[in-house]
Amino acid sequence: MAATATNLSDPAAVLRIAQKASPILVKASSVSTSFPASIFNSADSSELWREVEQLLYACLRTGDDESAFLCVERLGKRFGEDNERVMAMRGLYQEAVATDEAALRKILEDYTQVLRENPMNVPVHKRRLALLKSMGRPQDAISGLVKFVDSFPTDIEAWCELSDLYESQGCISQAIFSLEEAVIITPNAWNLQARLGELEYLAGTSSSDNTENQQHLTQAVRRFSRSIELCDDYLRGFYGLKLASDKLLGAYSESKANKDVAIAPEKLQRLSQLATSKLEAILKQRTSRRSSAGYDTEVLVVQQLLDGSKG
Amino acid sequence: MAIQGSEQVIIRDPALFYWILLPITIVMILTGVLRHYATVLLASPPKPPLSLVESRERQALLRGINLRNNAAAAITSASFNARKEYLIDGYKKGIFLKGGAESRGQAAQNPMSDPAAMEGMMGMMKGNMAMMIPQTLIMSWINAFFAGFVILKLPFPLTIRFKSMLQSGVMTRDLDVRWVSSLSWYFLCLFGLQSVFIFILGNENSASQMAQQMGQMNPGATANPFGPGQDPDKMFLAEAENLEVHEHWSVLDGTEDRLLQIYG
Repeated sequence: MAATATNLSDPAAVLRIAQKASPILVKASSVSTSFPASIFNSADSSELWREVEQLLYACLRTGDDESAFLCVERLGKRFGEDNERVMAMRGLYQEAVATDEAALRKILEDYTQVLRENPMNVPVHKRRLALLKSMGRPQDAISGLVKFVDSFPTDIEAWCELSDLYESQGCISQAIFSLEEAVIITPNAWNLQARLGELEYLAGTSSSDNTENQQHLTQAVRRFSRSIELCDDYLRGFYGLKLASDKLLGAYSESKANKDVAIAPEKLQRLSQLATSKLEAILKQRTSRRSSAGYDTEVLVVQQLLDGSKG
Repeated sequence: MAIQGSEQVIIRDPALFYWILLPITIVMILTGVLRHYATVLLASPPKPPLSLVESRERQALLRGINLRNNAAAAITSASFNARKEYLIDGYKKGIFLKGGAESRGQAAQNPMSDPAAMEGMMGMMKGNMAMMIPQTLIMSWINAFFAGFVILKLPFPLTIRFKSMLQSGVMTRDLDVRWVSSLSWYFLCLFGLQSVFIFILGNENSASQMAQQMGQMNPGATANPFGPGQDPDKMFLAEAENLEVHEHWSVLDGTEDRLLQIYG
């Protein structure tokens, strides 16, 4: 639930950032905020501190706890230890270096204490819920998040997280509702649109009622189409589009009597073909420059899907 | 009016340059810098909500506005209607209000007695004062000490229209337009030094706002849709009306056709 600015989902990118630790830290420590020096020092920019923050996350993920500690120290020195975000980052660091369950519980208590003093501390609030989740208490995390979004109903992160938690507990319709709230706030986020498609697809494969399944699958097809419309070569969108349209075709053939279908079967076939050809094109493109990008799970999964549909 | 072809010659004491032109310019630059730092000091950042219920009250309105603006691109009619019903019901019953549904009938607080609203207005006033006071002071200073001096000759000719701009405070009809009086030099500095300030203080002066940015996770959380003295209940009712008349269409209808068209 941490704030991520650049593409931090790619492990290789994270490692690259983490290796830049020392120059960034040197730059950050050279910044002076006391009066006479601060006039001549232009290094004190918000970009630098955003860099330090990202470095912190990258270091924590790559296990470079010492640099992470230095990052927290620098941020604390610049913005004060009582800054809400710095508090959350310090908590994040403590969580990362905590060795056992008891230490985590201690941190959780600290968070609760901070929130009792100031319930408006949003970053710490989020950390507390994330910690609950990682401690294996999703029920508590969900009830906490429901209270959180009641007070902050325009917080996208919280809605997305809530949706994930609901999905992990098998409450697909609640998950869909939560994610729809997030999409209302940022309607052009194609990744959220595709994610909604995935949830609809899950809903469409889990229930036993065929007509309801068809409705969900139709929605899934539309969501994936929308995400592709927003982002031309979105692999995940095409992947989902292929899965959902094939599944919906299957559902149509099961219930033969049904006449009022939302999307005509021939259209679905064309969509599926389109997705297949696009996926093949993307696959070819990615494998050709694979030597530089290295190991890519997405490519493997797509390969599997295409092989499966052929055989 | 100057006679064509001949140059007007005025012998100026070089001391005019050192004791009037230079001081005015330096004082103007210094006050500009000082004013910048004064506004930074005086500026009060938008106040974050003080309690959870207050945050809910503010964001409930934003939620309605978001729904109205973005529903077409985000959700289907069924989901839209469910949300619409919920929000309209909430707005009308006043469950989003800070004081709960019971606090509805109370009249809006007088903004003069509400300290929070008062502060908002004071912020505006402080900003204006930081502009006005130095200007009045310096202008009266120049009027008292340097009125009526001709201190500068522009190296290029100008038309007669510029006379009132360049020679305020010097009441001579026949003086060539190229001569600039001290008071006019003040005005030129006042309006013309913007680029100098940008050079000295840096563009946008981002340093001042940084600590503030760092303070908040998402900038939208502190946005306050209610201006000082506005009654949240009335705004909620207006928003409920807006939602009621909102006609929903969904961009999701027919996306598959559009997609096939794009790639067809």
